[in-house]
Amino acid sequence: MNVGALSGLKVVEYSQFISGPYCAKLLADLGAEVVKVEKPGFGDKARSFGPFPRDIPHPEKSGLFLYLNTNKLGVTLNVESATGMKVFKELVKWADVLVENNSPREMKRLGLDYESLHKVNPRLVVTSITPFGQTGPYRDNKACDLIGFHVSGMAYLNPVDGVEDIEQQPPLKGAAHAGDFMAGLSGAVGTMSAVIAQQTTGLGQHVDLSEQEALASITRYEVGIFTHEGLPWERQRGGRGPETSIVPCQDGYAVINATGEGFWTNLVKMMGNPDWTKNELFQDPFYRRQNSDAIRLMVGEWSKERTTEEVKYAAQANRVPAMPVYTAKEAVNSEQLAAREFFVEINHKEAGRIKYPGAPYKLSGTPWSVHCSAPLLGEHNEGVYCGMLGYTRQDLTKMRGLGVI
Amino acid sequence: MQKLPLDGARVVDFTAIWHGPHLSQWLGVMGAEIIKIESSLHPDITRSRFVFGKERAGLNLSVDFAALNYGKKDVTLNMAQPKARELAREIVKISDIVADNFGGGVMERWGLGYPDLKKLKPDIIVYSGSGYGRTGPYKDLPAFASVVEAFTGLHSITGHVGGEPAQMASHAWDDLVAAQHGVFAILAALYHRSKTGEGQYIDLSMSEAGAAFLAEPIMDYTMNGRVAGRVGNRDNIMAPHGCYRCRGQDKWVAIAVSNEEEWIAFCKAIGNPEWTKEERFGNELSRWKNQEKLDKLIGEWTINYDHYEVMERLQKAGIMAGASLDMEELAHDPHLKERDFFVEMEHPEMGRLSLPGLPWRLSNTPKGNYQCPPLLGEHNDYVFGELLGLSKEEVRQLKEEKVIY
Repeated sequence: MNVGALSGLKVVEYSQFISGPYCAKLLADLGAEVVKVEKPGFGDKARSFGPFPRDIPHPEKSGLFLYLNTNKLGVTLNVESATGMKVFKELVKWADVLVENNSPREMKRLGLDYESLHKVNPRLVVTSITPFGQTGPYRDNKACDLIGFHVSGMAYLNPVDGVEDIEQQPPLKGAAHAGDFMAGLSGAVGTMSAVIAQQTTGLGQHVDLSEQEALASITRYEVGIFTHEGLPWERQRGGRGPETSIVPCQDGYAVINATGEGFWTNLVKMMGNPDWTKNELFQDPFYRRQNSDAIRLMVGEWSKERTTEEVKYAAQANRVPAMPVYTAKEAVNSEQLAAREFFVEINHKEAGRIKYPGAPYKLSGTPWSVHCSAPLLGEHNEGVYCGMLGYTRQDLTKMRGLGVI
Repeated sequence: MQKLPLDGARVVDFTAIWHGPHLSQWLGVMGAEIIKIESSLHPDITRSRFVFGKERAGLNLSVDFAALNYGKKDVTLNMAQPKARELAREIVKISDIVADNFGGGVMERWGLGYPDLKKLKPDIIVYSGSGYGRTGPYKDLPAFASVVEAFTGLHSITGHVGGEPAQMASHAWDDLVAAQHGVFAILAALYHRSKTGEGQYIDLSMSEAGAAFLAEPIMDYTMNGRVAGRVGNRDNIMAPHGCYRCRGQDKWVAIAVSNEEEWIAFCKAIGNPEWTKEERFGNELSRWKNQEKLDKLIGEWTINYDHYEVMERLQKAGIMAGASLDMEELAHDPHLKERDFFVEMEHPEMGRLSLPGLPWRLSNTPKGNYQCPPLLGEHNDYVFGELLGLSKEEVRQLKEEKVIY
């Protein structure tokens, strides 16, 4: 039996796709007992999203679903049915935490708004993760990861790099579903703060997480420049941090960040003290920051003569922060990540053995661990409904026939 | 109203720059007493980051510092001096958490590695953040977020279609993704300690915390050996899904359509132009395959309207749309305003500050500890006098000896 940091914490998850499931995954992977409630039939919509092995879609083989739902018990439940709602409330009574990412309107319609849930279980922490939060003029707006990135100002701040015509390029969303993941992560932090409060007071509360805010939070420096100095952050600035250069190599690209006198000196040495670096202007760190484009071009003259690996080794030898622009292939095969045992192989009943990203942190006393792979749809109906809530197998059969599970 | 969740907890905060301070700032806002340790010889470098050409004369005027260091108290300790390290140890004895994000070995050199700290306080929770982790062949490599992001494969999948690799959004993405994961891990460790009395050591690698968001490209590689490309604002499934130019200078709107119903509503909302009836736009799959042309045609419509107008009109019709906000628009966003996302603070030297606050709300908890960013060494008398019980004379002497310095 695993002792995780969150052993003993009981969580019901009524969410799908990414943000809610990632929040619940963080809890589950550190030992919380998480019961994930899916709609009978299709289940979590992430089951329909790739990557799939060999591109053959299968509801039990979605890479996204498999990753996001490790360590969870999976049940099916139709809360629109009266019996389903009764069962759901029994789960709510059992739980310390409910994680959900449905719209406020939807939860209200179902009679699962916070006030109603609080009546069922005053101890319950309810974490609601939505695009715009529970209040405010946009709270009923429809959104997805793309929208979140743009309305948070994050897309606008994406530096316009590596394109021919800056004027033509729109602000850029983050990679993959970074926004939804960030919302889930922030939700998990909010959840834990409420759980810690719950330990003292014995009472629950509503954790209201807005994806717009979770992402806007990251613009803190740039928006602070505006609110304090009245200076807008110009989009057409080139490289993100002025000290960061994305430079071409023979076989790809590398990122070099020489912030600070020490690293700048090392960078100059690494390039063999080229003449341009001796120019008086470049001795001034302020000037360097204002002329990052020029620096990038000049460093590019050095890097383009070398392979990415040569640049990497030169940087290591000279203590310059730099890495090649790797793809998933190099990351998965990285000696560092191998030494850290970051990737873990998990065996799944249907999908088989696959390598997954593992622990985002290493806890010495209560390490992250996977004790079970993502659940098949309804896999733990018996274990949860009979084992935990006291229903009989005949009850389950009736519920299945009624479309309740 | 309840107290703040971390009321009563104390953090010895050795963190600096972005990742660490972001983490300790959230702990501070949630009620922990943060004792930030700096030195007149080595103030946090963000104190001296100047802005757009305006050099800052003092160490208490930087927006960069302010955005990441509110909610904290501040002392100066010249850690080169043995007496200073002794004082640091005394603070540890009355604290719950010690945090750092130094490059390798600094805490150990000061006699403040985990085994040392555990002797001082057996249940201490120690957090140590770094670019690649505290173990492995890369453990001593200098790191910044941009470089770590390149290493985990983020740059390779960020950027416009056909363009070069690009930075992910603003400031320091992996710093802040790692910081949030770090706060979560610390709260989980606090939860565990409350049940068992046990502390532990948390080793967080920014590359691993960042890679936790990259399950999709990573698993496509581990399952199918495939390496993802850059897709700009596009999506693997939805079309239209992009960012379109609107009326005005550099104004854009993001739009996503996820099914046939939304497509029909979208066409209606934009006045059912003839081109929407073309066969190649007649079903979901075909729209995806023809999205380049589709995007062009949509752009010819949006260009005539203000981006807020497009967002409102499409949202009314039930379509996912969001104005792509710049920093000024973000600061004035009516939704964020209503939710009190920006927090106002009065700073003795900077005057009024308006900065993003916590991205979640707890329903039965006070707003949060938003004490203004500290002046360098502002709380020396409080920490060494009141907390540690040194006399005024002793403190004066230590300042003279440049121990408290």
